[in-house]
Amino acid sequence: MEEKLSSKAGAKPIRCRAAVSRKPGEPLLIEEIIVAPPMPREARIRIICTSLCYSDITFWRMKEFPGVFPRILGHEAIGVVESVGEDVTELIEGDIVIPTFMPDCRECMDCKSEKSNLCSNFPFKVSPWMPRYESSRFKDLNGETLYHFLSVSSFSEYTVVDVAYLTKIDPGFPPNRACLLSCGVSTGVGAAWKTANVEAGSTVAIFGLGSIGLAVAEGARLCGATRIIGVDVNPDKFEIGKKFGVTDFVSAVNNGGKPVSQVITEMTGGGADYCFECVGQAALVQEAYACCRKGWGKTIVLGVDKPGSQVALPSNAILQSGKILIGSLFGGLKPKSDIPVLLKRYTNKELHLDEFVTHEVGFEDINKAFDLLIEGQCLRCVIWMNKNE
Amino acid sequence: MHRVVESVGEDVDEVSEGDVVIPTFMSVCGECADCISKKSNLCSKYPFKICPWMPRYETSRFTDLKGQVLYHFIFVSSFSEYTVVDVCNVTKIDPAVPPNRACLLSCGISTGFGAAWKTAEVEKGSTVAIFGLGSIGLAVAEGARLCGAARIIGVDINPNKFEFGKKFGVTDFVNAANCGSKSVSQVINEMSGGGADYCFECVGLASLVHEAYACCRKGWGKTIVVGVDKPGSKLSLSSFEVLHSGKKLMGSLFGGLKAKTDIPILLARYMNKELQLDEFVTHELQFEDINKAFDLLIEGECLRCVIWMQK
Repeated sequence: MEEKLSSKAGAKPIRCRAAVSRKPGEPLLIEEIIVAPPMPREARIRIICTSLCYSDITFWRMKEFPGVFPRILGHEAIGVVESVGEDVTELIEGDIVIPTFMPDCRECMDCKSEKSNLCSNFPFKVSPWMPRYESSRFKDLNGETLYHFLSVSSFSEYTVVDVAYLTKIDPGFPPNRACLLSCGVSTGVGAAWKTANVEAGSTVAIFGLGSIGLAVAEGARLCGATRIIGVDVNPDKFEIGKKFGVTDFVSAVNNGGKPVSQVITEMTGGGADYCFECVGQAALVQEAYACCRKGWGKTIVLGVDKPGSQVALPSNAILQSGKILIGSLFGGLKPKSDIPVLLKRYTNKELHLDEFVTHEVGFEDINKAFDLLIEGQCLRCVIWMNKNE
Repeated sequence: MHRVVESVGEDVDEVSEGDVVIPTFMSVCGECADCISKKSNLCSKYPFKICPWMPRYETSRFTDLKGQVLYHFIFVSSFSEYTVVDVCNVTKIDPAVPPNRACLLSCGISTGFGAAWKTAEVEKGSTVAIFGLGSIGLAVAEGARLCGAARIIGVDINPNKFEFGKKFGVTDFVNAANCGSKSVSQVINEMSGGGADYCFECVGLASLVHEAYACCRKGWGKTIVVGVDKPGSKLSLSSFEVLHSGKKLMGSLFGGLKAKTDIPILLARYMNKELQLDEFVTHELQFEDINKAFDLLIEGECLRCVIWMQK
């Protein structure tokens, strides 16, 4: 297949630095790699900055498929188009783009429908390859193939991304804010705004106050929720959460033996109108469902659990409670239409982004970002590819 | 069930002697947050439970001739010439509606119809799959038909249900016992090109709810649980699928309907010849033959068997 397709005449490979993950759980190695020119419907992007998301860590640690090595991780980023492949009309060199793990082809039934953001042309999967041609654009200096990650691979000075996964934005946004909309903040804000459709005056409970959970809080705040209950094992998260609208805090562990769902059901007089699970644990999804209000309550699942995990719900509760269970991938958002909307709300000072960025490091210190996130010491750590940007 | 008020207790203004009423297991107090909200039909004041007593005073109104207490059943207990029902469980109706049609809205048909109309909000032109073509499932089909669904796939182990189902709008039939090496959900995914927009489980088996969820279309599909499973039963779903599929899972009790306002609406639609009720009544018996009704239903030989208290 690769023989028939070729990059544009004159397009050359680029040699640049990348942070390569060669073994599960081991520090990334800054190496020079070769980045091939873009194929048709692809663009080669110079990454300006990228931020670390826990999903990167999940797959960095994963020894079995879909964990694969050696790989270029990273999926939350912002960059500049360096060159485009054939048949690309929507982007040109110099455009500022936000790559996303969520595709937005704008042609399939799902992309055209208001009710779904799950593109049918590029169904989501954690693949080692580029989405359209199932091949890699990366090689190391020994000629060995390096695998892609979530169709983005942003831990590299240059990457190649399919146009279905690129959202063009206006220049002028601070890159270390705009990059957050590439994954985490969009996912959380979208979950509250689009998936749950949080109503003004309602009560929301959020399980897990990492960047995703705090982004849910921010989204719920913007929707006018009056009570936002944050649940976490780390009590420091309450102070941090207040900046994003969290009004009440419940410890996930210190309730004298009472399940968290009981605490929440009691403090809300029957359950929260919306419960969001932002950790990725079936037991927490079950807790969230249990303290979601009967009649109209929605339980929204955002966290990425380990492969094979199962959520168990009592059949009677499903029938008799009137509760709704729904998952939210990328917050139910369509990147190309919704990221610009969120950027505008940031510019209008409605949406808070600044407070998510707790650390900033240079590319060579990317492993420090991993340490910080694993130790729960940061929200978003932005990694700048170029000191001079 | 369809009754005439014989007498009322103190503080009853809504109904008086001679009124024709439909009792329901679902309460409507009209005052609590749920009754006031459009989004819920689960009355908080008298929550649904399988209770041996009257809802308000937790006592029984029945004794046998030896003085032994006889228990109530889900706030109705209609297998008696006379029963006592709380006003929250009573809907007054137009006396002109034939009783052996109106009584169906007391539970089964309202449940199925409402599940499609209110809970799922079936959209015109959509594809619906219904697991279990008993009275409930067929009522879901009827509701989906009235909502304008273009394709209504019925799933059952009894092939006779297809002919029956056609009367209520079922367009395709899948015999759950005859899918060969394929699962029912696989068959439905293939025939619908990716899954049905709405899947209804109308039997009460976690394994079928699982199948229904599996062949519900990603992106916007809704899986609605209507069947009553045994106590302690659990549904197990893949966390990956919950997160990545965009599918919604919800239950529907009494079809999401508020008895006092919605039963009269459905009755009016019957009188206007939009909603079909006649075809649900396959048998009619006298009170003394009530056990024959049990036999018929257990053997899968009937849809609704109406029992007349008086000749």
